[in-house]
Amino acid sequence: MKAAILRERSGALLLVSPVLVFMAVFFLWPLWAMVTAAFVDDAVSKVLPRTAAIIVSWDGQGIPSEAAQKAFVQDLTAATDEQALGEAVRRLNSAASGFRTLLGRTIPAVKAASEPAQVDLLTVDPRWKDTRFWVALKEAMPPYTDRNILAAVDMKRDGSGSIVLEGADASAHRLIMLRTLLVAAMVTIACAAIGLPYAMLAASLTGWKRSVLLLAVVLPLWTSLLVRTAAWFILLQNEGLINRALQAIGLIDSPLPLIFNRLGVVIAMTHVLLPFMVLPIYSVILGIPGNLMSAAQSMGAGPVRAFWRVLLPLSLPGLLSGSLLVFMVAIGYYITPALLGGANDQMISSVIAFYATGTANWGLAGALGLILLVVTTMLYTIYGRFSTSSRLPGA
Amino acid sequence: MRPFIQFESVSKAFGSVTVVNALDLAIEKGEFVSLLGPSGSGKTTILMMLAGFERPTQGAIYLDGRRIDHLPPYRRQMGVVFQNYALFPHMSVAENVAFPLEMQRVPRAEIAERVERALDMVKLKQLKDRRPSQLSGGQQQRIALTRALVFEPSVILMDEPLGALDKQLREHMQLEIRELHKRLGLTIVFVTHDQSEALTMSDRIAVFNAGRIEQIDDPQIIYDTPRTRFVAEFIGETNLIEAKVASVDDHVARISLGAGLSARAHAGNGLSAGQTASFSLRPERIRLGAVPEGSNALDMTIADCIYHGDHMRVQLTRDDFSLVARCERLAGNWTVGASVVASFDPSDCTVLTQ
Amino acid sequence: MFRALQFTFGAAIVIFLLMPIFAILPLAFTSSVFLNYPIPAYSMRWLHELTTADVWRTSIVNSLIIGGGATVFATVLGTLASLGMRKGALPMVGLLRTLFLLPMVVPAVVLGVGMQIFLVRLGLASTYLGVIIAHAVLCIPFVIVSVSAALQGIDPSIERAASSLGAPPVTVFRRVTLPLAVPGVVSGAIFAFATSLDEVVLTLFVAGPNQRTLARQMFSSIRENINPTVAAAALLLIIGTLCLGGLAALLRWRQKRSALKTAPSAI
Ligand SMILES: Nc1ncnc2c1ncn2[C@@H]1O[C@H](COP(=O)(O)OP(=O)(O)OP(=O)(O)O)[C@@H](O)[C@H]1O
Ligand SMILES: [Mg+2]
Repeated sequence: MKAAILRERSGALLLVSPVLVFMAVFFLWPLWAMVTAAFVDDAVSKVLPRTAAIIVSWDGQGIPSEAAQKAFVQDLTAATDEQALGEAVRRLNSAASGFRTLLGRTIPAVKAASEPAQVDLLTVDPRWKDTRFWVALKEAMPPYTDRNILAAVDMKRDGSGSIVLEGADASAHRLIMLRTLLVAAMVTIACAAIGLPYAMLAASLTGWKRSVLLLAVVLPLWTSLLVRTAAWFILLQNEGLINRALQAIGLIDSPLPLIFNRLGVVIAMTHVLLPFMVLPIYSVILGIPGNLMSAAQSMGAGPVRAFWRVLLPLSLPGLLSGSLLVFMVAIGYYITPALLGGANDQMISSVIAFYATGTANWGLAGALGLILLVVTTMLYTIYGRFSTSSRLPGA
Repeated sequence: MRPFIQFESVSKAFGSVTVVNALDLAIEKGEFVSLLGPSGSGKTTILMMLAGFERPTQGAIYLDGRRIDHLPPYRRQMGVVFQNYALFPHMSVAENVAFPLEMQRVPRAEIAERVERALDMVKLKQLKDRRPSQLSGGQQQRIALTRALVFEPSVILMDEPLGALDKQLREHMQLEIRELHKRLGLTIVFVTHDQSEALTMSDRIAVFNAGRIEQIDDPQIIYDTPRTRFVAEFIGETNLIEAKVASVDDHVARISLGAGLSARAHAGNGLSAGQTASFSLRPERIRLGAVPEGSNALDMTIADCIYHGDHMRVQLTRDDFSLVARCERLAGNWTVGASVVASFDPSDCTVLTQ
Repeated sequence: MFRALQFTFGAAIVIFLLMPIFAILPLAFTSSVFLNYPIPAYSMRWLHELTTADVWRTSIVNSLIIGGGATVFATVLGTLASLGMRKGALPMVGLLRTLFLLPMVVPAVVLGVGMQIFLVRLGLASTYLGVIIAHAVLCIPFVIVSVSAALQGIDPSIERAASSLGAPPVTVFRRVTLPLAVPGVVSGAIFAFATSLDEVVLTLFVAGPNQRTLARQMFSSIRENINPTVAAAALLLIIGTLCLGGLAALLRWRQKRSALKTAPSAI
């Protein structure tokens, strides 16, 4: 008996394990890699392990002890991995400008020395008398850092180590997050305003009319996202169909600015996400017994009251899960804002992509990505609570 | 020599719930045995243990002298007919019927011939290229039966095979299955919760209640002399009345029924004088009016008279004691409020321990 | 009055939903270098460009290679997982299912950053294998949803019947379970392929210049200098996905029909 269950279970495990391994390696691990990229800061301590061990006890006054300097020279001599060394130099230079040139002079000198133990840093380059470089070196040593996650919310540590706000001009991550939420909210409201009456209309119709309405929702869902974005590009541009039509009927003289601004982004995103609003509402309304409205009316409620008191409250769960879904997808959106938005319409995804592919600043990209991931996961958990099936429409 | 099929103190528990409790059951070759009982009494579980889809928690099952409870279903050579037919939707009728023969590696030419013959037997040869979805419920039922029969299994197991059919078709299929059973000498274990189905079709009926056999006998004995209250109530209709046993003498008990009435009745096992017991009397065994020699006779009043088409139901009372009698429509003209003598033979009623 | 309002609203939204798709298609046949109406004359110029220009042609080939690879990966893995999660023999099946569907939810950019970091470490960045794996992660949920639905539609007593008729487990799987699950597997594969075909963001992060897919190429073309080749590519994608979508719908419909007809309650 037990053996049979065990056999069945191990069979099932055997079938599931390839995906489990695949997802663990190629889905969870990458996410983990992103999270660690935000917190790990071992570029320097990996290359200079001996220095790291000694310099932590330095009090930050003057220059470190003879022993620390010896260890530093020893580390530089031992560093053979050019790439890792380059990383360390880049990291140090971002903490104290001038570090690159300083090391550019020091490293060849140390490596060329016949007796590295005898090398005196201060004679190689007098700038080693500057406390600033040694402080930067010490501060780059701890393998973990909260620098990125603080920077992601426009904060930093000041000289004494307490957390303070970044200067207003230094960074604008909060602004971008706020903008992301704002755009997502605008899109959600637009989708709800259109989607609710549309789903009710579709549910109240029968035959070919209903089919047309539903097909109009499903067809875009099946069309490539890029095609739809390209299509909006064509429609919204200054010489596009919409501006041409408005000019032709004499409503406007010069083209309206519809593209590379907030309006264009919201229009296109509403178009893309509308199906995610209509489908949940529609399925909820279909589940409402058809005679409920007539029952309410037979009890003396007029059609308007029947709508307000019966249909609307009953379709609210659909509206809620549709809104959560649209909002959740919208805050992570990349393609549409990237192609149709202006510089002031870029959302958090664009910033993450910029740090990751533009400046190779994985730490900051990871920190911002972590924030987006956490918010999305929270929304998804709420969505899972509210909607009966955690299946996404269109899947 | 063991019986053809034997359950030897078989128990089955799902988790902490015992569904079948120390079951002993013997079935002979060529017998048609029905398992009858209310929903949840464990009938399907017993059938599934016999077919090999469930393993007993305890006990042993034998087939033809061999212990089989460790064998997987596909080694048991039993034809199973499921309630929803379980035809393979992606195969034609002929492919469905050929499936068990293929599994036995019967040569191709012989398969074709045997499929043909089997479909001929149920008169569905013209449908052999259809898909199951293109058949009516009755036709699907017959194909499922054919598929279970075609490989000449030693036993046919059926789990409420007629449950999804309408009444008329069900009665027709009952006759057809009964006829096949006779003609082919099949051993059939048939699960149903329809008592009239069990009564008309079976050689023996096993009545189940909560995982135990209450009684196993041929239909007539089950109906006429139920051994327990449960059986009396579950099979057919009965007047079940609390009674006091005055004396017991050679399987005839004298009982007092209340309202000053007394009667003689067939005594079930383990009955002794002074005991409180249940008296079971079938409505159709009650005569109104004439009192033959040696019958019980009770003076009653007609409280109500209900028309049922082919018969009447007469409600009889005397003080707080009441009976229902079933009468032929033409047997008399009963007026409500009239006095009448109700009579019945002592052998037609039973006294059971509580 | 109310009727007229309803009609106007419905028509307006239907137009809003469908107009972009229908507006872009004719531009595939424009003779002009601008993606504008009115179309001065019709020509095959841009379709020709799409199939002959190196960047576009290789991007189409890349899309087919990567889409095919990701589909094979996702379909095999997803089908196996669906089979394993089917009978409920595993503890915490709900948790597993959620995990497997999560790639649908995680923002593409987030996954992209992680993938880039991770694939660089593995030395798989800017390789076909790397892109195929990244796409497969996104495709697996679609396969699992589709195959699980198909498996759920199989009446367990059908498999029991096969077993009672003498079929050992492997034969039951081969002759009964698998054929009945095939429509679900095929439509899962179609979903997977369509997903891969349309994927841009992950591709941006993990693909090198040699693995540019059609969607990726369209993205940069729209971004840098949009020209009617984009419309031609859109036409190709629309025809492709509509064919795939039609096929999936057909399979679903057939599956539903046969499921309905075999259920005894529907007789
Ligand atoms: N796999 C299982 N796990 C747990 N309990 C089960 C399982 N199968 C059956 N049971 C329980 O065992 C009891 C008997 O079930 P069974 O199906 O044998 O009843 P049945 O007599 O066939 O009823 P019905 O007439 O409704 O078909 C029921 O209470 C049922 O809930
Ligand atoms: Mg049952």
